[in-house]
Amino acid sequence: MTDTYLNLVNSGVTKKLAQQLGLPQPAPLRRYRAGTPLVDGPVLVLGRGKDADALAAVLAGPAGGAPGSTVLDGWDLDVHRHASPDTRYAAVVVVLTDVEHPDQLAGPVLATAGVLRGLARGGRVVTVSREATPDDAPALAAARQGVDGLLRSLAKELRGGATGNGVVLREGVPVTAPSTLGAVRFFLSARSAFVDGQLLTVDSDAGALPASWDRPLEGRVAVVTGAARGIGASIAATLARDGATVVAVDVPAAGEQLAAVANRVHGTALQLDVTAQDAGARILAHALQRHGRLDVVVHNAGITRDKLLANMTPDKWDSVLAVNIASQLRINEALLTSGDFADEPRIVSLASTSGIAGNRGQTNYAASKGGVIGMVRATAPLLVPFGGTANAVAPGFIETEMTARIPALTRQVARRLNSLQQGGQPVDVAEAVAFLASPAAGGIVGRTLRVCGQNMVGQ
Amino acid sequence: MTTVVLPSVPALGGLYARGAAATGRLAVARRVGRAPRTLPDVVHEVRGVRADADHLTAYQHLVGESASDRLPAGFVHVLAFPVAFAVMVRPDFPLPLLGLVHVANRVEQHAPVRLDEAFDVRAWAQDLRPHRSGTTVDLVAEVRVGGALVWRGVSTYLAKGVRLAGRPDDAVRDEFVAPVPTGRWKLAADAGRRYAAVSGDHNPIHLSRLSAKALGFPRTIAHGMFTAARALADVGAVRGDAFTWTVEFHKPVLLPGTVTVRVAPDGPGTAFAGWDARSGRPHLTGRVDPLR
Amino acid sequence: MAPSPRKPPTPTAPTTRRALVLGGNRIPFARAGGAYAHASNQDMLTAALDGLVARYGLQGERIGEVAAGAVLKHSRDFNLTRESVLGSALSPTTPAYDVQQACATGLESVVGLANKIRLGQLESGIAGGVDTTSDAPIAVSDRLRRTLLDLSRAKTVGQRVAVAARLRPKDLAPAAPRTDEPRTGLSMGEHQALTTAQWGITREAQDELALASHQRLAAAWDAGFFDDLVTPFRGQTRDGNLRADTSLEKLAKLRPAFGLGLDTPATMTAGNSTPLTDGASTVLLGSDEWAAAHDLTPLAVVVDAEAAAVDFVHGVDGLLMAPVFAVPRLLARNGLTLDDLDYVEIHEAFASTVLTTLAAWESDQFGKERLGLDGAFGTVDRARLNVHGSSLAAGHPFAATGGRIVATVSKELHRRKQAEGRPVRALVSVCAAGGLGLTAILEAA
Repeated sequence: MTDTYLNLVNSGVTKKLAQQLGLPQPAPLRRYRAGTPLVDGPVLVLGRGKDADALAAVLAGPAGGAPGSTVLDGWDLDVHRHASPDTRYAAVVVVLTDVEHPDQLAGPVLATAGVLRGLARGGRVVTVSREATPDDAPALAAARQGVDGLLRSLAKELRGGATGNGVVLREGVPVTAPSTLGAVRFFLSARSAFVDGQLLTVDSDAGALPASWDRPLEGRVAVVTGAARGIGASIAATLARDGATVVAVDVPAAGEQLAAVANRVHGTALQLDVTAQDAGARILAHALQRHGRLDVVVHNAGITRDKLLANMTPDKWDSVLAVNIASQLRINEALLTSGDFADEPRIVSLASTSGIAGNRGQTNYAASKGGVIGMVRATAPLLVPFGGTANAVAPGFIETEMTARIPALTRQVARRLNSLQQGGQPVDVAEAVAFLASPAAGGIVGRTLRVCGQNMVGQ
Repeated sequence: MTTVVLPSVPALGGLYARGAAATGRLAVARRVGRAPRTLPDVVHEVRGVRADADHLTAYQHLVGESASDRLPAGFVHVLAFPVAFAVMVRPDFPLPLLGLVHVANRVEQHAPVRLDEAFDVRAWAQDLRPHRSGTTVDLVAEVRVGGALVWRGVSTYLAKGVRLAGRPDDAVRDEFVAPVPTGRWKLAADAGRRYAAVSGDHNPIHLSRLSAKALGFPRTIAHGMFTAARALADVGAVRGDAFTWTVEFHKPVLLPGTVTVRVAPDGPGTAFAGWDARSGRPHLTGRVDPLR
Repeated sequence: MAPSPRKPPTPTAPTTRRALVLGGNRIPFARAGGAYAHASNQDMLTAALDGLVARYGLQGERIGEVAAGAVLKHSRDFNLTRESVLGSALSPTTPAYDVQQACATGLESVVGLANKIRLGQLESGIAGGVDTTSDAPIAVSDRLRRTLLDLSRAKTVGQRVAVAARLRPKDLAPAAPRTDEPRTGLSMGEHQALTTAQWGITREAQDELALASHQRLAAAWDAGFFDDLVTPFRGQTRDGNLRADTSLEKLAKLRPAFGLGLDTPATMTAGNSTPLTDGASTVLLGSDEWAAAHDLTPLAVVVDAEAAAVDFVHGVDGLLMAPVFAVPRLLARNGLTLDDLDYVEIHEAFASTVLTTLAAWESDQFGKERLGLDGAFGTVDRARLNVHGSSLAAGHPFAATGGRIVATVSKELHRRKQAEGRPVRALVSVCAAGGLGLTAILEAA
């Protein structure tokens, strides 16, 4: 979908006019292209402790690692440990894992403040902190939980397509755990273009760093439901770009578009109604027979049947729940009990910000999407013994055929109701899905990652 | 018997003009009682006739034959018949040309004539005999290649209302019962003109509605030999190289028109019939049988 | 030089191997003038190929050969199959050729490629067929065509004027494609009406067969049987001709359409005859080695095939009766009888085509006199006949029907063998214009 407003405020006369009128100034977002650098410029790593040193070492270390050493494969970035004046930073990583009292936040936070004005367009602020728990000393918990409010507010202040996101480590998870590095890298990269103001928790040191950051899904077989169009088609394309062999699934009636998607991504098309009782068995049989394995299942198929609850019909309620949550539960059960979904498997489900914050007219949809959030939280632990996990992605306003049908004015308002002041693209959702499907996300267990440009509703 | 050797096969168009004049003369002569009552004792002959390849192809395509270098028996008729026709326009021929109706035709083909072969044609009239509605006569044409008889055609014509001496034999024709069809010919309005173009037979009854009306037909009618040639083509390769091909013409086919046909094995050869499916009345019936 | 002693010929054992049906794909068949009214043969064949490629992950694959065809074809489509391959997701280095055997085109494509695979000449192949009656080729009249050709050959202005002067206004009227038999001038329906009358097939029997076809095809769709056999196209997601709600009462109300001029009652209606249909189908074939290398499940083996033809021109047999002669020869060569077949697929050109075929096989006299047997050839168990419906319900885009039947029955054979673990066989029989018939035996792989 074209966002005409976004184009207008970024060009010529209309750009100037918008500035003078104080209209929202959405910036074109930088998006991932293979072969482009992770970040466009120097990266400032703030923080004093050994976690900051360890992380800075990875960011600055040579690609390929030192021969014969156990040092991690470095990312070869231009890393500064102290802000130098007049430097335009592409990213700031604020390591706060060692703060024990709210008083200790001032140092790194104010150091961050000094470089924000010079942050590059599309820049990144990433905090790395530890989770506050009821067992913590009150001051420790206060400091750790304070990061949450800090990050969310900071993100709202960023402009020019810059984003702020946080990685929250549970107790005992090292800063160099695969999922910590994976999450930091995801937030630094253009893959997270429309993820803003989010804190993603790393639960364990499970998972593995990929042999290639450009093709983390090499050799993996992924099923994407609802793949014929929109976000599903983009997920299929993104997983394939990252190296996965894709089985594109959609209802038989969508077969023509599904075939086109499968052919574009060099995968296979499986015409299947996910609500069929044997859908899980058929998906597994197809993947095993045609591709020898099944590693990733992306539950993307979903429908909306909007109605105020007072006007809700059983038909509208049942069909939404059947497609959006019941089918996922049934397919997961089939996969989990098959014994053939046990080699570091990944389930990624599509939730929605409606499932978090609620949306007028979408009680059925929000119930199903809230259900997805609960489902992945409870499913992930079942996969952990196999090195697997399940997580969800909750999109906000995404420019799709579906949102294109929203009345024009409502659509314009909906687009601006987030920190990036624009709608996301299907590929933004797909990138988050691809990250959660990757080997590096193995330590992220049952979480829901929002892809909403920091929508003003909900958490 | 006198033999008249013609320099070439005469054009039928000119013969029709002469025939029309002769018909007029004959009518006058009959009124004054000096019309001839016997056939001229004469044989017309043309030597060294050759077919033209384009002409042959046009004929073959029109009647549904494939364009081989063997002349269809009906095409030999087209080439040889004007020689016989020349006999019919002689002043001493006893029947009026205009109004003569082609009622039957019989061809014996001993061997096919090839495109590269020159052949000689001899033709005469014989067997003038009474018929229940007039008088009939046989026009015979023989075709020889290198002196050997390869093709012999006998075309029977009826002069309606012309009474000569003698009584007709009272052979009653079998009532026609329409059989199970095997096919259908859809004949376009210009079928007469198109066959006229390949056969040279520009009899006005085949050419336009107006000229046909002048001669008593509501519309143009198809050439009998055209329908007979299509039937022969429908018989196909089973007819072999040596065969007899006989046909009787009944009700004329008005153009445009649809003829329901049956062409099917029958005894030693193949029988064919064409009829009007609505009235059940026949247009033509005939057979093709191996010669021997 | 002394002549070298002649070597004795080394006898070579036949080294043929199995040719497998590995899958298929078609687009839903649409009624003429319906969803595909503006789609060309090439559009539809490309869509069917692309769906096959998507289902089996053949993107960029160089297939041994693609053989397909159309019965009604534009002259611009002289290389229809190759052009469709070039427009598809297959490798552009995939060779292709066109096949045409009227309504048997699709099955002949399967048989031809299967034989090449058996010989070791090919490892893989895609057979197909497509037809549109909505976008049928309209030609200029013969006279206009000849005149235009002569004009292009004319050298002087005078010659050109003379040639052009031959044209008459009516020569400019277009010539619609003929569906009549060229040698008899009768349409297929009129021919079949003669055969129907000859065998005394009743209206009721025909309507019952048509009803069964619709009911069985509808049931297969409802069960999702076609989910991995069909890819939608242009918004058409099911066969457009399918009438799941038809009934004997509705069928009985239709007026006869063929055989009106015969002295027996006309029994053939639009309900028990196939309508004009647009569509395309493909079948993926390969050797055991190729299937294994591509992780494809063999569904069926193409065992053998037999063609036949009848002399309908001279009324010896009905136009569509050739399979009646082909099947006894085919089964005898393979040491089989009708009882050895678990599935019998007889293309429903008309309901009465199937019924006259069965009647001829059940006739003692016909068996003795025409088939050279001791008596009747045999009886087909109706429960094994066209189990998922056939052309009466699905429609019949001429060249696409063979591929539809082969893919459908191959899937069914595989399913049955999985369930019962014993050899399972099917007969496929397709009648065609020109008095042709093509039949084949498939066996679950």
